[in-house]
Amino acid sequence: MKILIVEDEKDLRETIIGFLKIEGYVCEYSETLAQGSEKLDIYEYDCLLLDIGLPDGSGLELIKLLKERHPETGIIIISARNSLDNKIEGLDLGADDYIAKPFNLTELNSRIKSVIRRVKFAGRKEIVAGQLKILPDSRQVFANHQQIALTRKEFDLLIFFVSNPERVLTKEAIAEHLWGDFADSSDTFDFVYSQIKNLRHKIIEKTGADYFQNVYGAGYTFNLKSNC
Amino acid sequence: MDLVNKVNLRFLILLIVVFTVAGVALYFAMGYVVTDNIDEILESRALKVTQSLTCNPKQGSYGASPDQSIEIDYCSPRHVYKVFSDTAIYDTNDKELIGCRKLTFITKVNDQYYKVQIILSRLETEDMIQVIFYFMISLFTCIVIALFFLNKRLSSGLWSPFFKTLHQLKSFKAGQKNEIVFEKCSIKEFSELNMVLNEMINKIQSDFNNLKEFTENASHELQTPLAIIKTKLETVLQCKSLPHESQGQVQIAYQAVTRLSKLNEALLLLSKIENRQFPDESMINLCELIADRVAVVEDMLSLRQISITLNLDTPFQIRINPYLADILINNLLSNAIRHNVDNGKILIDSFGDKIVFSNTGKSLDIEPEKIFQRFVKQKQINESNGLGLSIAYEICKNSNLELEYNNQNALHNFILSSGGQASAKAID
Repeated sequence: MKILIVEDEKDLRETIIGFLKIEGYVCEYSETLAQGSEKLDIYEYDCLLLDIGLPDGSGLELIKLLKERHPETGIIIISARNSLDNKIEGLDLGADDYIAKPFNLTELNSRIKSVIRRVKFAGRKEIVAGQLKILPDSRQVFANHQQIALTRKEFDLLIFFVSNPERVLTKEAIAEHLWGDFADSSDTFDFVYSQIKNLRHKIIEKTGADYFQNVYGAGYTFNLKSNC
Repeated sequence: MDLVNKVNLRFLILLIVVFTVAGVALYFAMGYVVTDNIDEILESRALKVTQSLTCNPKQGSYGASPDQSIEIDYCSPRHVYKVFSDTAIYDTNDKELIGCRKLTFITKVNDQYYKVQIILSRLETEDMIQVIFYFMISLFTCIVIALFFLNKRLSSGLWSPFFKTLHQLKSFKAGQKNEIVFEKCSIKEFSELNMVLNEMINKIQSDFNNLKEFTENASHELQTPLAIIKTKLETVLQCKSLPHESQGQVQIAYQAVTRLSKLNEALLLLSKIENRQFPDESMINLCELIADRVAVVEDMLSLRQISITLNLDTPFQIRINPYLADILINNLLSNAIRHNVDNGKILIDSFGDKIVFSNTGKSLDIEPEKIFQRFVKQKQINESNGLGLSIAYEICKNSNLELEYNNQNALHNFILSSGGQASAKAID
């Protein structure tokens, strides 16, 4: 999978690239609008991470360009300008998702995967993780041909974990992923804990494997080399 | 009292003073002229009397003329003199005293001294005062009536550019896209006013845009370093070789930066609302929105055994920016959850013109009046940034809604009512 990152902040860009490289993505970057459009002219990418505020113009220009050339490339807008206008305009132009700075890398990773699934495979692709088979389109999960009945939140949580295997997902990132604006409510971490407990329980029940690991104080990891 | 009436009142008071002074002055002036005239007549009569005495010297007593206007008497030799005086005689017909002018003089004709008195009624002066008085009154009435019609014309004609300008200013909001264009008018003061207003509005708009740009840029400048800190810390957390104790430290830094970025976002949102940067409004039924939002947090509620009772059959329609409506409901709802107790309850009731969010919870340790102020928060809640209710309050202010708090029946009640919007509708 090839990803183009158009972001002028060097530190942020390198952190993102560092993170995504471990995921196995081939990452290229450009710092300006001009470089970006040049790259998009020559190469084809699976996903474009696009900062709107670029030194030589608005990143929104690239969306138009890309939609003409390679409409099957997923586009995620990364913007510090958390202004609604930009968001709406970007999504109207054909961006697939929008993530506001500052974000969690695990959240970004999950969004990239989701966008690629949607754009490239029209959501039909199934995800296999250990003994689990997940159908994102129909929101179903199977273990050994048996369906595991999950609530909406539990399903979202599972997808989030499966997208970020062997990563530490912080409680904050999980809470934000599940509840968005409600995430800063007090005791959200209790909710996170109880959701994971339920999900873990349901999966152990069907597979006998415990994929979840508690990283003390920080959060949780989804570990496929499960300790049965 | 409007300007025109105020000016008129002053004008009328001035007019009364002027008319009184003028009336009195006129009275004295006329009186003087009339007296002067009468005196002249008396003089000419005196001359005639002297002449007739010279021509027809009579012996014996003279006495008075039949109308008693002339009285001639012999008198002993003395100085010749002539004097005018005011007097009054009793008119037996009208049975009243009549003001008169009397000329008394001593004359010597053919060595005989005579004392002559000539009297002339000055009845005319009193008539004159009446005439002047009635004339003044009727003139005054005429002026008042004329003023009334003049005002009507003034306020509909002359003042109309002013009222048009006023009307346009009322609808002015900083940051709105459509520019205000004042009509040209021929009155110097008003065209000057429009010119000054135009300059002022342009200044306000450019200041507003600068401020808006500043907030946007501040957001950009702050969010990017925050994003770098956050992602770096996250990367460190992913590192498996990280010693256990360092992980705790990094975790704390990560939590702090998460809070900081949320705080920054909330402050930005507040300033954006205050700057009225959410102008696009549409009719929204908040009841539907609430039902939607409640569905998202249902699992949170069930975990804490908080029961929620919705009574949202009566739609609550308001004009509001959809994004702000979302935040408003989010904040009120998360406030009701955050400050609730386990096994507590939340009630949301719609009454058509208001929605009441009620929740159980610990009693306030802050003053109720301060509940919507920034950074005011309950001591025991740490994660709260103390901005949620301020944002809700600002949104309401921005959208002409009213948000009130009270504590009744051991419940915290937040009452969202369409106060300003309802009265705006009534005016329409």
